Amino acid sequence: MRLTAIIPLLLIFNLLAVVLALGVGSSGYDQIFRILTNKADDTTKTIVFGYRLPRLLLAMIAGASLSASGCAMQALFRNPLAEPYILGVASGASVGAALSVALSIGAIHSRLVFAFFSALFTAYLVYLIGTSSRFRDQTYAILLAGVAIASFFSGLTSLLIYFAAQSMHKVVFWLMGSFSNPQWEEVYFALPITIAGIAYLLITSWNLNALLLGDEHAAAVGINVERYRRSLIAVVALLTSATVAVSGVIGFVGIIIPHTVRMMVGEEHQRLLPSTILLSTAFMPAIDIFARISTSGELPVGAITAMLGGPFFLYLLMRRSI
Amino acid sequence: MKLKVEDVVVRLGSRDVLKDVTFEVKEGELVALLGPNGSGKSTILRTVFGVLKPMKGVVMLDGKEIGSVESAARILGYLPQDTPITNLKVLDIVLLGRTPYMSSSLRRPDESDYRVARKALEEVGLEDFADRVFSELSGGERQKVMLARVFAQQPKIMLLDEPTAHLDIAAQIEIMEIVRQKVEEGKSAIVAIHDINLASSFATHILMVKDGKIVYAGKAEDVITEESIRDVFGAEVSVRRYGRGVYVVPKLKPVGGQKRIHVICGGGSGQNILYALAEAGFRVSAGVVNVLDSDWEVVSELGEVIDEAPFSQISDSAHERNLRMVEESDAVILANLSVGWGNFRNLLAAKHAAELGKLIVVNGTPFNQRNFVGESAERIYEEILKKAIVVGGEGDVLDAIRKLLG
Repeated sequence: MRLTAIIPLLLIFNLLAVVLALGVGSSGYDQIFRILTNKADDTTKTIVFGYRLPRLLLAMIAGASLSASGCAMQALFRNPLAEPYILGVASGASVGAALSVALSIGAIHSRLVFAFFSALFTAYLVYLIGTSSRFRDQTYAILLAGVAIASFFSGLTSLLIYFAAQSMHKVVFWLMGSFSNPQWEEVYFALPITIAGIAYLLITSWNLNALLLGDEHAAAVGINVERYRRSLIAVVALLTSATVAVSGVIGFVGIIIPHTVRMMVGEEHQRLLPSTILLSTAFMPAIDIFARISTSGELPVGAITAMLGGPFFLYLLMRRSI
Repeated sequence: MKLKVEDVVVRLGSRDVLKDVTFEVKEGELVALLGPNGSGKSTILRTVFGVLKPMKGVVMLDGKEIGSVESAARILGYLPQDTPITNLKVLDIVLLGRTPYMSSSLRRPDESDYRVARKALEEVGLEDFADRVFSELSGGERQKVMLARVFAQQPKIMLLDEPTAHLDIAAQIEIMEIVRQKVEEGKSAIVAIHDINLASSFATHILMVKDGKIVYAGKAEDVITEESIRDVFGAEVSVRRYGRGVYVVPKLKPVGGQKRIHVICGGGSGQNILYALAEAGFRVSAGVVNVLDSDWEVVSELGEVIDEAPFSQISDSAHERNLRMVEESDAVILANLSVGWGNFRNLLAAKHAAELGKLIVVNGTPFNQRNFVGESAERIYEEILKKAIVVGGEGDVLDAIRKLLG
C-alpha cells in the first residue's frame, strides 16, 4: 500500500479516536460542541479536560512510545518477536512501584518516580551485562541478560506483593496496565520524553534499515553501529520507562502494531515507523474506550492487549515459520 | 587508488590472528585471498575496512591512513560474509549503499541516490527486481543484490568476503564476472575465496593465507603449485596448466596402494589415460615417447617418462629402459597409438608385457588404420591381443586395471 494512501487513512482513525474518547460517556457529543463554542458548564469541562483529555493523551503516549520502541527493537535484534520490554523495563518498573507502595510512600508521584528510575536502572543493568566484553554477539547477550534480569525482578515483585498483601491491590491493578485515574502531571512528565524519543527514532530511522542487514553490513555502509546501538537502547529505555511509570505494563502493543503496519507498507523504516506511530495513537485509545465501557467498572487495558496479542503472536509464528 | 597494508598485526583476545601482513593492491587488480577456513582471510578484509584495528602496522590509501568507518565507506566497498535474511525490498537494500553520501543528521535518499541505486541494480542484471522482497530471492540473486549495494557506494576498492560461498557454479561464475567487469572499469578488488580454480581464473594476483600470515603471493601460475596447496590447505591435489591457466583436481586416495602403471603411448594417445590414472592415485610412467610429443608433456608433469629425442627412432638404451619399466610396473597399458618404424619397438615392449600377463590394450581404432609398418606389426599385434585384456575405449581402462590387480 502506498504511504500517501495510508497516512490520511490513519489520520482519520486518529480523529475518530479523539472524538470517541472525549465524547463517549454520560456527557454526550453535544457537550464537545458546547466546549468548542465555550458554552459548556463546569462539570462537563471537568469531565472532558480533567479526566478524558489526559486519559486520551496517556493512551496515545503509551501507544506511540511502545509501538515505536517495539519497531526499533525488532530491527536492532533482527527478531520479529522482540518487544520494548526486552530490556527488562517492565519488571524493573514493577519492582519500583511495588517498593514505593510497600514502603507506604504510595502517593502517585512517588510511585511514578520509583517506577521510572527503577525501570531505567534495570535497562542500564541489562545493557551493562549484555555488552560485557566476554560476549562476542552483544546483541544476543543483551537479549539473554534481559530475560535473566526480568525473571529476577518479577520474582522480587511477587515477594513484595506477597508480604505487603494489604496495600497491594493498587499495584496489582497497575501492573496489568491501565489509564484509569489519569493525572495531568503524568502527561506533563511523559509527553516531553515521548516526543523527544520518538523524534530521535524518526530522524535516525534510516539506520534501522541498515541494522536489519546485521552489524557488519551496517558498518559497511558507514554507520557507527556501536554508537547508534547505544543511543537506540538509551532512547528506548527512556520511552518505555516513562510509559510504564505512568500507565503500567501494557503488553504486546509493541508487537501487534508494528507487524500489522509491516504487512501494509513493508519493512522500510522511513515508511514503517511513522505509520506505526499513527496507527498506535488510534489503536490504544480505542482499546481504552472498550476497557471503559464494556463493563460497569473498568477492565485493565493490559489484559485486553495481552488477550489480543497472544493469538496475534501465534499467527505471526505460523505465518513466518520462524 | 593504491592500497597498502604494512606489517599489520591484529590481536583478538590473546591470539594474534594476523601476523605481519604486508601487501599492496593497485588500480585494475583483482586480488584473491586464498586459504582455508579460519586462516585469516576475513580478518584481513575487516582490518582493511577498519572494523578491526591493527595493534601494529598500518593500512594506507594513497599514502594516507583511513579514518573512521564512516569515511571509509565512500572508498571501500566492504561486503561481509554472511548474507542477511530480511524482508526489505531489493531497492531499499541497494539504497543503503548510498548512506555514506547522505547528510548524517537526517539520512534520506534523494533523486540522485535512487538513480545510482537503479544503475547498480542494472550492473548486476537485476533491474527488474527493485520491488521484490529480498528474502524471496534465490541465493545467487541475493548475493547480486548485495554486490549492487557495494556498487551503489561507488567504492574505489571492493573488499568481498566469500561472495561466491554456497552458490551453484553458474552463479559463482556470474558473480566473479560482474566483479571482474567492475575492476576493468578502473576499480580494484580483494576477494576472499575458497575455490582455487575460481581464484586462478579471475584473479590478477593471488595471496595465499595460512595461520594469519601471507605465505605465497604472486600470479596464479607462479603461486598455485602442488606444494603450496599442500602447505596452505593440507590437501593433495594435482595442478594442471593450460597456457597461462591453472587449475587443480583432487588426487583421489590410492586405490591399490601406490601401484605403478606404465603406459605405452605417443602422439596424444595416452594423455587422457595418464590423467585418469594419476587422478585415481596411481603412480604413472610412460614410454617411449619423443620429447615435445603431447603425451610427453602430460607425463612429464604427472610422473616418470622414458623419452627419445624429437622425431628419432627408439634407441637401444631407451628400449632397454622401457622393458625394465614394464617389468617393474604392476600393469602396462598399450594405448590406441599409431605404429610406424620410429616407435615399432614400443610394440615389442608391449608384447613383453603381454607375456608377463599384465597388459591392457586399448583397441579403439582398427589396427590396420594406424599401422604404418606392415604385416610384421600386424602379426605381433594379433599375438598381443591374445594374451592381454582388451578394452574398446579409454573409459574402460580403470575398470580393467581393477580387474587385473584384483
